[in-house]
Amino acid sequence: MLEVKNIMLFYENAIAVNNFSFTAKAGKITGIFGSNSAGKSSLMWTLSGIILDMRKKEIMRGGERITVLGEIIYEGANIIDMKPSDRARKGIVLCPERRRIFPESSVMENLRIGGYLANAAQARKTLSYVFEIFPKLKDLRHRNGGFLSGGEQQMLAIGRALMAQPKVLLLDEPLLGLSPAMEQRLGQAIKSINKEIGVTIVVSEQYARPLFPIIDYGYIIENGAAVLEGTAEELMNNPDVKEAYFGI
Amino acid sequence: MTGATEATAGASPAPEGRRKERLDRGLKVRTEGLYAVNSYREITYLVGPRLLLILGLAVLPLLLPNLYWQRVLCVAGAYALLAISFDFLANYVGLVCVGGAFMTGVGGFTAGIFTYYLHVPWPISILLGTVLGAALVTLIWLPSLPLRGIYFAILTFMFPFLARGVILALGILGGTEGLGPVAGMDNIWIENYLVIVVLLVAVFGLRRLVGEDAGIVLRGVKDNDMAVQASGISVTRTKAKGLFIGSLAGCFAGAYIVHLYNFMGTSLFATDYSILPIAAAVMGGSGTLAGPMLGALILTPLSELLRGFGQLRVVLYALVLVGFILFKPEGLLNWLTRKYHQFEKWTKV
Repeated sequence: MLEVKNIMLFYENAIAVNNFSFTAKAGKITGIFGSNSAGKSSLMWTLSGIILDMRKKEIMRGGERITVLGEIIYEGANIIDMKPSDRARKGIVLCPERRRIFPESSVMENLRIGGYLANAAQARKTLSYVFEIFPKLKDLRHRNGGFLSGGEQQMLAIGRALMAQPKVLLLDEPLLGLSPAMEQRLGQAIKSINKEIGVTIVVSEQYARPLFPIIDYGYIIENGAAVLEGTAEELMNNPDVKEAYFGI
Repeated sequence: MTGATEATAGASPAPEGRRKERLDRGLKVRTEGLYAVNSYREITYLVGPRLLLILGLAVLPLLLPNLYWQRVLCVAGAYALLAISFDFLANYVGLVCVGGAFMTGVGGFTAGIFTYYLHVPWPISILLGTVLGAALVTLIWLPSLPLRGIYFAILTFMFPFLARGVILALGILGGTEGLGPVAGMDNIWIENYLVIVVLLVAVFGLRRLVGEDAGIVLRGVKDNDMAVQASGISVTRTKAKGLFIGSLAGCFAGAYIVHLYNFMGTSLFATDYSILPIAAAVMGGSGTLAGPMLGALILTPLSELLRGFGQLRVVLYALVLVGFILFKPEGLLNWLTRKYHQFEKWTKV
């Protein structure tokens, strides 16, 4: 579905993603795990194209020079130079780190902004689906996004991304700052989204325990490079992974 | 095979490509430590730009062909002070102040009152106008200090019009016609060198200040005022101090202009004093303090050359502002600094 070949990303002279390749298989959940500064978010920005926008802004500001090299093969074409808005139109939708919901719009409005690309029938269908997997959002639908709790905001962010009718959904640290119970619930929700809509999901996270049960294939990223890859069980049985990502 | 496979980063060849690398010059790195004083070359590298500025400004009045251009330099100096004031407030205190004209007006009228009504000698009235004017500006803007960003900008932009309206409506301080002659400096060399010395003091003084403890707190207020409050520092008081320091430069410009033109009137509240400094700051490089000064020293003579076009000069500022914001938002000095300290080369990835 999404084939990433030899991605390299430089912020000025610092290397953020170092020759990283991976494949997100259609209809599966691919996990990318790594500690802070491993390059997860940079990778997500590269996949969604946000990095091109950042690069443009930095050039205008005369700031850091961002260099992106490599290939992203999606639907048979290399999309490494495609604008983020065009990628979203083609179905690659990012649910960004720290949620970035619109704090002064209500839950309903947030979801409708997300559904900008969808037609009326799709939007209606997805909206009812979002309310089905996240029933809490339905009760809060007139509340401003900024007044929601962290978990509710994350549900909203995922719901908003779903409204854009993704074929590939990129979740950047969806469990950031959530309680263990909420982590479990969101993990299950991500799994059911994957099963029920059949959307391909790429999820990045630092703490692997709540996500390992749901992923189909995983990569461990360190200093911008993939150091380990395998199915969930394979990774789980690796002693290094156990120590670093499960704290056992 | 069971167990995760080692994904090796180097196994598949890295993508073909090259990127431009930006590196510090060796000379720059060598001059960062104490050993910079070892060689003349390194001392020159450090002192050179600063010395160039000081000497350049010192000989500038001598090089100017006639009295007209010397007067232009005086006015450019006043604008440069306003630009420094704007830059300091916007980039180090976090107050985007679009009311430079209010500072010139208050400073100018305060100084002018001392000279015109009380017959105080001009150096003392300029000093009083600067300090009292800055205090007055700070006091008047004190209630609006909690505002941030665009809201503070709108509010400060309104004040010159307000002050002008009050003077016109009440007919005080000369009303529409203004007051004059205000006894002035009456010597072009004094006029030139006064503004140059004050400019240099302002640039080097403020650059020193923003690196000191007090300056770090000011920048903290700009970046994250919640964290500053949590550190036990009063945000409003810090902002007020910053505003006072910034207004000193602006009010001096006003007081100076009054004694340069030997006249004070509502033209001191002209919108030019608010707008040109912003264009100069954007052009010269925001956040460098010296950059806005250079910007003003370039823009003012340029607009003087275009005097024949009358009000179209304002279009020039607007074009400079828009052009630089769109194509070179870092400004001249930031760009020059980078070229001075760093070099670029292509490298293969």
